[in-house]
Amino acid sequence: VSDPSLLALTLAEARDGLARKSFSARELTAAYNNAVSEIEPLNAYITPTPERALAMADATDHRLARGEALPLDGIPIAVKDLYCTKGVLTTAASHILDGFHPPYESTVTDKLWQSGAVMLGKANLDEFAMGSSNTTSWYGPVENPWRRPGDNRPLVPGGSSGGSAAAVAARAALAATGTDTGGSIRQPASFCGIVGLKPTYGRCSRWGVVAYASSLDHPGPLTRTVRDAAIMLRAMSGHDPKDSTSAPVPVPDFEAALTGDIRGLRIGIPKEYRVEGMPAEIEELWQRGIEWLRAAGAQPAEIGLPMTKYALPTYYIIAPAEASSNLARYDGVRFGLRVEGDTLGDLYELTRAAGFGAEVRRRVLIGTYVLSAGYYDAYYLKAQRVRTLIARDFVTAFEKVDCILTPTAPSAAFTIGEKTEDPIAMYLNDVFTVPANLAGVPAIAVPVGLSSDGLPLGLQIIGRAFDEETVLRVGEVVESAAQFRCSPSFAAGGGR
Amino acid sequence: MASVTAAGLTMREDEVTDGGRREEILSNAPRTARGFFVVPKVIE
Repeated sequence: VSDPSLLALTLAEARDGLARKSFSARELTAAYNNAVSEIEPLNAYITPTPERALAMADATDHRLARGEALPLDGIPIAVKDLYCTKGVLTTAASHILDGFHPPYESTVTDKLWQSGAVMLGKANLDEFAMGSSNTTSWYGPVENPWRRPGDNRPLVPGGSSGGSAAAVAARAALAATGTDTGGSIRQPASFCGIVGLKPTYGRCSRWGVVAYASSLDHPGPLTRTVRDAAIMLRAMSGHDPKDSTSAPVPVPDFEAALTGDIRGLRIGIPKEYRVEGMPAEIEELWQRGIEWLRAAGAQPAEIGLPMTKYALPTYYIIAPAEASSNLARYDGVRFGLRVEGDTLGDLYELTRAAGFGAEVRRRVLIGTYVLSAGYYDAYYLKAQRVRTLIARDFVTAFEKVDCILTPTAPSAAFTIGEKTEDPIAMYLNDVFTVPANLAGVPAIAVPVGLSSDGLPLGLQIIGRAFDEETVLRVGEVVESAAQFRCSPSFAAGGGR
Repeated sequence: MASVTAAGLTMREDEVTDGGRREEILSNAPRTARGFFVVPKVIE
């Protein structure tokens, strides 16, 4: 049985507890290994790695005994199974990567291990990170640890980092890595009642992270608090010569930015985010957020982001285009699944037909279409141009304001199976999160309240490129004003 | 726009920084022989 009091700690509290020797890294990791087993019904992990976790925890205890603690020493985390981990099965939740054991480690996970973090296992996700409900995984859907009171139907955790979000919310990881291409960190964080941070494009290296849409993919953390996100981000960030888009900029002490002082900060409220059909309770929560920031001395002001309505259509041209190119490498020859055929062409076709799920095939087809000779200018080139205008919207807005406050998602979590019949309804989940990916600017999702049917809802703070510090500082003010408590119906160590 | 990164690509010395990893590269292949990937015959 896992120790509920250990599992209830935040990352920052666990770090301090380890430093004070209130408990050992081995005790903390053993509790989390038990928690990982306990939440098995949620299907949040594809590959738990309990023995490796204990070995890493023992290394931490040796360092602590010598007084050589590292920044994340002994912190048990989940790794989205899109990050390559040396010698540990890496699947991208796809059948086509069957049996793939990378001979190298992704830069971000390598940095985390160099900082002393402990790997609990590889977390479930939508296949190749394509989805907003974690229902496209070859390894089956992930369940949200939350349920509507008086309603026993399982809910989606959001996606694509659904396993990461469910594990952190259900107290089976202190934090997790995720990736965010159109909202895949922030939307699941919102659905599970935790914090999700998409940093600036180039802040965290993409090297060794299975590529979906390279110009939109952002590695980042999912955590229980804003402070924990700041701690994780520092360990995950930094220039990497192996990723040509990695930014050669210094990494600030993000935790030190959490001063609580936002007096005089100008907060933009974009009028285009009042979308049709958005539930009134989300609008109300947004208003409450504006009042919290005003009460803390900030100055909210309405702004315009006129290109917002083009963000989703632009995203659903650029992302599939890049995906169709990136996924060309899965052909049954060098790694993963192989379905034999009489000719090499047959081998490619049979392998890809058997290895990719329906949503991945849909996006490869769309991407191939928009990149084909007759349609390239009409779709892909046009989308690239509109993307420039969307990014310019943010540059113009940040001349007048210091950050932007919006809802994270247009709804709370929905039941598993709902919306899967209609891909367009699923794509609408990302309406508030996609623009920050197209513009490459940092954004955090903070849980702030419950919907009328008792499910978490979040607010998003978007900031200037490489100004995660302001995003985190404002995020923490929203977090402390909201006093939200993550209390899902099912969690390791007895839940609530 | 192809990338939101304001900075252009950086240059580095034109030198070999990696290599000699044949075993690692082949380690995940479904079929190999004598240090090569094996596919159905393509010469007609």
